[in-house]
Amino acid sequence: MSFSAWLELLASGLITGGIYALVALGLNLQYGLMRILNIAHGEFLMVGAYLTWMAQTSLGLNPLFMVPVSFAMLFVLGWVIHRLCFRRLTATSPNLDIFEARGLMVAFGLMFLVQNFASWMWGGDLRGYDFLTEPVQIPLPDGTAQFAGNKLLVFALALLFSGALIVLMRTTLLGKGVRALMQSPTGAQLMGINTQRLHPLMFGIGLGLSGVAGALLSMSYTISPSMGEPYTVTALIVITLGGFGSMGGALAGGLLLGVIEALGMHFTNPSLKALLSYVVFIGVLLLRPEGLFTRKSRKS
Amino acid sequence: MNSRQFLIRDLLVLFGLTGWALALPGFASEFAVSMALTCLMYIALSSSWALFCGTTRYLSLATSAFFGIGAYTSAILLEQVSWAQAIGLGALIAAAVAVVMGAAVLHLRGTYFAVLTFGMTELIRHAISYFEKSVTGTVGRVLMVVPERDTIYLTVLALAVITVALSITLRRTRFGLAMLGIGADEQRAQTLGVNTRWVKVAGFALTAAVAGAVGAAMSVRWTYIDPHTVFNPFIGFQTVLIALIGGAATLWGPLIAAIVFSVLAETLRLQVPQIYMMSLGLLLILSVLYLPGGLASLRAETFRGWRDGAKAWWMETRDDLSGETKRRKLRDKQLRERRDVF
Repeated sequence: MSFSAWLELLASGLITGGIYALVALGLNLQYGLMRILNIAHGEFLMVGAYLTWMAQTSLGLNPLFMVPVSFAMLFVLGWVIHRLCFRRLTATSPNLDIFEARGLMVAFGLMFLVQNFASWMWGGDLRGYDFLTEPVQIPLPDGTAQFAGNKLLVFALALLFSGALIVLMRTTLLGKGVRALMQSPTGAQLMGINTQRLHPLMFGIGLGLSGVAGALLSMSYTISPSMGEPYTVTALIVITLGGFGSMGGALAGGLLLGVIEALGMHFTNPSLKALLSYVVFIGVLLLRPEGLFTRKSRKS
Repeated sequence: MNSRQFLIRDLLVLFGLTGWALALPGFASEFAVSMALTCLMYIALSSSWALFCGTTRYLSLATSAFFGIGAYTSAILLEQVSWAQAIGLGALIAAAVAVVMGAAVLHLRGTYFAVLTFGMTELIRHAISYFEKSVTGTVGRVLMVVPERDTIYLTVLALAVITVALSITLRRTRFGLAMLGIGADEQRAQTLGVNTRWVKVAGFALTAAVAGAVGAAMSVRWTYIDPHTVFNPFIGFQTVLIALIGGAATLWGPLIAAIVFSVLAETLRLQVPQIYMMSLGLLLILSVLYLPGGLASLRAETFRGWRDGAKAWWMETRDDLSGETKRRKLRDKQLRERRDVF
């Protein structure tokens, strides 16, 4: 294989990896902070994609304009869902284990609800639109490497949003509060961090990120009501790779999984893709349940 | 009532229901019988799920894996062996897979366990469809030898009765009590001398055997099977859902919920499948939020609790909207200040 072919292969892996990272970061925020394993996360990505598609085809809006709009809309949706479901769940569950199991069930309910709402509202067909489809040529010593313009844009924006979230977590007071709550909920509450306000906010931000991922995905791929589920599973795989609750780990894990999938599909067989990611997932969960990138110093 | 009277009551109810279900193909229409068959399938699946997962609180999402394994076993072997043998083999192979799977993952609790069993189900599904595509060269299988409709019905009925009878008797044995102990506090159960590892693997294998047998019996009804239909994760989800909505820790909850769901499914699914699925999701959320013990825990007090809760919520909102909350706070503050002066 020539250098440019390698570069194209790696880049295609990184581009899907960028989306994986963005979805996984949102899920990780929800699971790491609130112990809500939101199985319906991918469905909200699908909602974001459909919102963008609708705005583009029926209103003629630029998809780029829809990126912040779908973030805002899904943020509000997440806030409302947290207020309606998870606040009561937190109040009524006797301990964290039971809360986790019940939260998982509520998320399954949300998954059925949202997915079937979409297929009832928009029909089960594949949808899509054209946006920035002309390829970008990059000259190299041995020939040129070609990339679709929209995919490069998607990658750049996915990295931008993931980076923004990580910077928010690392540098601001809000991020400090969230990290403190992840480390020790009781201790953080004793220091005066308001969980009543922070939990819905972070749940909303998580869903907003999946809405951004959906808006980005709709620019370069076709969308359908069942598109969300594979992304949920991938996001689960990514956060197990990176370690539950670790933001940098989720970003690295997402990019890594994208590259692994691209290489695996190129060298073996495209129908093995799903099999490959499940093997990675189960292998990591069984052998290193605390994540690939965490040191074993912290015992739970 | 003491324990013995409960046992007699449960056995009598089971006896009556069995007799009624036995007589059903004689007088009911074709449609009603097929509905009853689905109903019996979900009774067997969700009762067996509740038998292990309801008592030990291990949330398994692997039911569809065992179901699919059973279905494939009978699809492959039915031309060589008899009907009863095919079902027995289906149960046996599913149980064997469950023992291997359980030995690997049953030391993990909670969400990890649920996610891993789901992942393993998907892994088995993808592995079988890849195997079929690349080795056998087909996607699905057509079943040539199919037994009579009544044979299938009676087999599934027998499986459902066996499952319910098992959960009636098992909760009175040492084994059932050990599972209940694991659900309450696993470490304490271990300290009190329960071999938790063995109990968990055995219980998991038991549910898998029932699911495998049901899968083996139901596969012939479809006459054409492919990995996508028999390993459909929805079968597993719906089983869990029925058990949870009915009340996973109770005996009759899963049965009641299975009947309610089959009727709901058949009436709604034909007209608007999406509405059926949406109401399923909504019901699941509502039952987890407002009825965590399941349908079987529904009593007059539950309704009273809901009414009081709704009334309290309404009073609070009304006070908020009319500004009463603010005024009350102000009054309290003034009262405190006046008290401080004197």
